[in-house]
Amino acid sequence: MSGAATATTVATAALRTVKLSRTLGTGDAATEILHGIDLEIGRGEFCSIMGPSGSGKSTLMYLLGALDRPSAGAVEIDGVDTARLSESGLAAVRNAKVGFIFQFHYLMPEFSALENVMIPQLKKGVPARAARERGRALLARLGLEGKLARPPARLSGGEQQRVAVARSLANRPLVVLGDEPTGNLDTRNGESVFELFEQLVAEEGQTIVVVTHDPRLAARTQRIVRLQDGTVVDDGPPRAVLARAGERFTEPSP
Amino acid sequence: MTPLLLVARRHLVHNWFRTAISVVGVAIGSCFMIAMSALMAGFETKFVRETIESSPHVVVLDEFRAAPDEFATWLSRAVGGVAAVASSHPRDRLNRIKKPLELIEALRATERVAAAAPEVVGTSILNFGSREIGAQLVGIDPEQQERVVSTDEFMTEGRLLDLHSASGAIVLGSGLAERLGVKRGDTIGTALRSGGARALRVVGVFHTGIVPIDAVRAYTLVTLAQQLLELGRDVNRVVLRLHDHREAREVAADVEAMTGYRTESWQETNANFLSIFSLQKAITYIVTSGITIVAAFGILNVLIMLVLEKLPEIAMLKSMGYTAADVTGVFLLEGLAIAALGVVLGSILGYGLTEFLASLPIPQKGLIESEHLVMENTPSLYVIAALFSFASTLVAAALPALRAGRLDPVVTLRGRA
Repeated sequence: MSGAATATTVATAALRTVKLSRTLGTGDAATEILHGIDLEIGRGEFCSIMGPSGSGKSTLMYLLGALDRPSAGAVEIDGVDTARLSESGLAAVRNAKVGFIFQFHYLMPEFSALENVMIPQLKKGVPARAARERGRALLARLGLEGKLARPPARLSGGEQQRVAVARSLANRPLVVLGDEPTGNLDTRNGESVFELFEQLVAEEGQTIVVVTHDPRLAARTQRIVRLQDGTVVDDGPPRAVLARAGERFTEPSP
Repeated sequence: MTPLLLVARRHLVHNWFRTAISVVGVAIGSCFMIAMSALMAGFETKFVRETIESSPHVVVLDEFRAAPDEFATWLSRAVGGVAAVASSHPRDRLNRIKKPLELIEALRATERVAAAAPEVVGTSILNFGSREIGAQLVGIDPEQQERVVSTDEFMTEGRLLDLHSASGAIVLGSGLAERLGVKRGDTIGTALRSGGARALRVVGVFHTGIVPIDAVRAYTLVTLAQQLLELGRDVNRVVLRLHDHREAREVAADVEAMTGYRTESWQETNANFLSIFSLQKAITYIVTSGITIVAAFGILNVLIMLVLEKLPEIAMLKSMGYTAADVTGVFLLEGLAIAALGVVLGSILGYGLTEFLASLPIPQKGLIESEHLVMENTPSLYVIAALFSFASTLVAAALPALRAGRLDPVVTLRGRA
């Protein structure tokens, strides 16, 4: 690959890792979770990460979202090497360029659904009125227009996770990272969240990376990265990756 | 509203019961600090005010700080070397301030001295019937004395000027009159220094409210006291009133340097009592600050619980781009709000408790006499209590707040994944 081609690739990648390693613990208790991972996620790409428990999926997500620092190698978000950033610099990157969704919604129980979506925007400096409008629009799009003022405790599990999705999108992030975002949802709600992801990718070119154990949901993405023991063992279109893994590929519903 | 303030406010409102407990804790600490300080300050202020009004600001005494050993000095000069005297006794003579009129005139000419008066002070045994009581006999010139010490306003029977009304007139402190069992118009006796006795007519009784004064002091004319104590035309005290009683220490030092006579400020004369007040004040602050510190521990406990409860939300806030300082700020703001509410509530309760205690009919007899507890309800007490409560609450809030800020979101998320 030529130098010019590499430069172009770097500029267009939303996320890029170079020989990324992460070791947890110190001394005799040190365990290397990720071993020199090279990965590139393009803008507008909808990618899933699969792998057995303990393969390093969540660790990779935390590193991709600048929530953790690598032990070796580099993570670039929108071309910026996160290793060069201070703690507040990393926080600013998370605020502006990353939207997280976790298995648990982690909504703040003291705030309404709308206010939960406003919180990341207020940190960014968005005026309250504009943050409220953006929150309203996002929640309406997710079918929650009638439940803006409800606290999380008065929403169903699926609704809570949809509010969490709206919150992750609030600051128009470069990339949405979902760490098993449907892990706590039933099949119908899980599929509904993935449908939403597909819409965001198709209509807005949103970059989305999700960790999932469910091959049926992974099959709906454009690309599957399979991790095993902290190493990328397969990377490609869902049909091929699932076939190589011995999983049955289910054609996504239209 | 900033997001930090918004989050802090919601935490407090949502957990209103815990917030209320913390606020009440701070309020109780503030309240007791205010009320106890008001009590201590009340007694001290009353004592100082009445001492300043009923006693001279500065007293020139008929003695020296370090009396020279006259014989040793004379002997040293005589032998042209150093002589030490192993054992000596003071000469049996009365101390006195010589040429008092000149001294008084000189002192009156001093800028900071408002008035000066002579006094002849000695111990005298007063008797009435079979009762004999030692008294501090103070010979005064009523007109001059009144300019130095407001004694006339404390007269409960007769007037100070009545000392001129009869030869051998005496005015007694209320405690002294009570112990002797005399009233105005009675005649009492006093033993003379040279032997014999002298009849004195009680022409008045005063009551300052300061027990050590009322119980022992008696006033008579300076000329009579000079006779009784055989001082001739000399006096043994010159008392001064200053324009500003707070300058008493400096003026006393200046006068002592000028005259050589030992000169005491009212603070030095009452050093024992003032040191007791200082000690009491220190004890009060230690005890009441203990209450506030216990309240602060309550806040520490509440905020630690809150931080532990909010671990996932803290991790989420950090994943949304909130910094460690932001998270610390949220919990510090909560501590600040608890302190502010607690101080306001504590000040209201403290005011109420102070006024309530002041209204209780609790007669005081001792150093100070009063029908009620003497409370001084001044703004400075509230400021001190507020500052202390704020400081202790913020220190208590800082520990969990810093811990919350330092939390690694990945550890929390990994533990819950």
